[in-house]
Amino acid sequence: MSQDNRNGRPQGRPPQGGAPRLSRTEAGLRTPFLGFFTSAVLWLVVASVLALVAAVKLHRPGFLGSCELTTYGRVAAAAQDVFVYGWGFNALFAVNFWLMAQLGRFEFRNGWLATLGGATWNLALTYGVVQILRGQLGGFALLDLPREVGPVLLLAFLLSALWSVVTYARRPSGHHFASQWYVIGATFALPIVFLLAQLMVLWFPTVGTVQALAHTWFVQNLMVLWFGASTLAATYYFLPKVLGRPLSHYYLAPIGFWTLFLFAGWSSPAGLLGGPLPIWLQSVGVVASVMSIIPVVITGINFYATLAVDGGWSRAWNSTTLRFVVVGVVSFTLFGVLAAVFSTRDFSAVLRFTSFDQGQQQLLTYGALTMTVFGASYFILPRLTGSLWPSAKLVHLHFWASFLGLLIAVGAALVGGWQAGHLLADAAVPAAQASAISLGWAAAAGSLAAILFLVGHVAFALNAFGMILSSTTPTSEGRQD
Amino acid sequence: MKNLNLLLAGVFFTVAAAWSGLLITSQVQLGALGRAPAEEGGPLFPAREPGLAIQGRLVYQDLGCVACHTQQVRPAGQGSDIARGYGVRPSVARDYVLQPQVLLGQHRVGPDLANYGARAKSDAELAAFLAAPATGVNHPPYAFLTAERSTALVAYLKSLRQDYSSPEAKLKQ
Repeated sequence: MSQDNRNGRPQGRPPQGGAPRLSRTEAGLRTPFLGFFTSAVLWLVVASVLALVAAVKLHRPGFLGSCELTTYGRVAAAAQDVFVYGWGFNALFAVNFWLMAQLGRFEFRNGWLATLGGATWNLALTYGVVQILRGQLGGFALLDLPREVGPVLLLAFLLSALWSVVTYARRPSGHHFASQWYVIGATFALPIVFLLAQLMVLWFPTVGTVQALAHTWFVQNLMVLWFGASTLAATYYFLPKVLGRPLSHYYLAPIGFWTLFLFAGWSSPAGLLGGPLPIWLQSVGVVASVMSIIPVVITGINFYATLAVDGGWSRAWNSTTLRFVVVGVVSFTLFGVLAAVFSTRDFSAVLRFTSFDQGQQQLLTYGALTMTVFGASYFILPRLTGSLWPSAKLVHLHFWASFLGLLIAVGAALVGGWQAGHLLADAAVPAAQASAISLGWAAAAGSLAAILFLVGHVAFALNAFGMILSSTTPTSEGRQD
Repeated sequence: MKNLNLLLAGVFFTVAAAWSGLLITSQVQLGALGRAPAEEGGPLFPAREPGLAIQGRLVYQDLGCVACHTQQVRPAGQGSDIARGYGVRPSVARDYVLQPQVLLGQHRVGPDLANYGARAKSDAELAAFLAAPATGVNHPPYAFLTAERSTALVAYLKSLRQDYSSPEAKLKQ
């Protein structure tokens, strides 16, 4: 599967006899990284189970119907929160941390603070998810954890993630790279956005529909500025690193960075077209959404031009890390193009409230973020544990189950949403006819995708935990890379 | 990009610009909205929710109904909401000023409920539907609801009305 590992095992530095030798940079972040990573994978498996239950309940509403804990609304909210706050945040704490330490050549000495932040984060999230299943959930997706959880999550985020800013400030050389800008930007923007949204929606609710606008603004920033920017940070690092060549048209990268941050927040009202908000707000959202194509084009030029040279695509396919990362690159581009094209009024009139926007969001949260983090894990874990991945078959199973699950889930959501939206747009067509699609074949396909995701994630978890448990205590001297 | 302070300042500016441009300005524009008559001397709308409906709103939230039901009617030309009978006029910001947490919703697995009270079945029929939906109807059974909670939920659903004139959206005579 990898050009540097002919026996079919995924790539990664093999043990060099005895305990693995880590660079000083890696030695300092091994414990916090593995703490975040193991938490992330555990949450991912939990999210997969909850998502499967929710997917089945969508077209079989009687499934677990006698139990109030498992109403569709609660399970779907819990699955989304566990996926986003459990898997997504923990995974990005780990990967961003590793990227910044590597690029800044930073020797991390206070790993216990980050580990404390991670433990606090996971405890608060566990409490919040239990409360959601018990029925204490709000009306806004991703802001539906009990409000007392918010300040704890914010504190935990500062403890866990702000080390990225410290590593940049204290890097020994003045060297800087696109991955670092994106991590710094994401890490700095997220707590500000989270704090303001918590205040405006949960603690001191603004009047009426301004709450809905604040919520949409939060979700858009969470998706684009935290998940999107962090995904791009990892891609900017791993693509040239594994291919062994500089990024094409790298001089464009700063424009991509600033335009991503500039338009992300402004585009949020596009998600409320036709809603009870002033028209000017909706128009601003559409314009900003269309302008958001600029960073998508620029990152596309950087990534695809790099892949197009010297058999890059083929080499990427043969590398475990890049196989996942390239799926992430294509998903991010598709997400950006769909967001720009389908934010206009004509499309929104047809597609709003259907599964179409869930498909778009899944392209970002799963196709781009999750697949890129998987790829990063295949690169980083062997280096930190000094072990090989225990089973190449599980790696293949992980990739194909995740990839096919992604294709089916996104395809069903987009096509099903498109068909249902066009039926609903015609008032002469009974709503039940549209429901026959969104609750029929599209929902069944969603359940199949949820099964594939669960299989893939269990395979990944078994392999990763097998690798971590078989690793020996590393030495912290010797390698300088 | 080399200077951390400039990088942080730039990121802060982009986030703050969108926040103030969208949220602060909309709060300035909509924050003072209150109940109002459609015409001078007329009754004030939106009407206050009865106490039982306030309890029912909590049941609605607890069950996660917002995952499948929206509460917003889009104008003609922006979807078929009015033609489909979800409402008699588009929803406007004033309709939500009394709601402690607006439940606009983002997905319509089931019908929109913004004006459900105007087309609702009788209390008994609605309670029976929630406990055991008819065969072929894709709605989860909530047989576990106690009589009190079911009554409150029914009261809330029947309180959802946007069939009055407001200064921003007058009903056609």
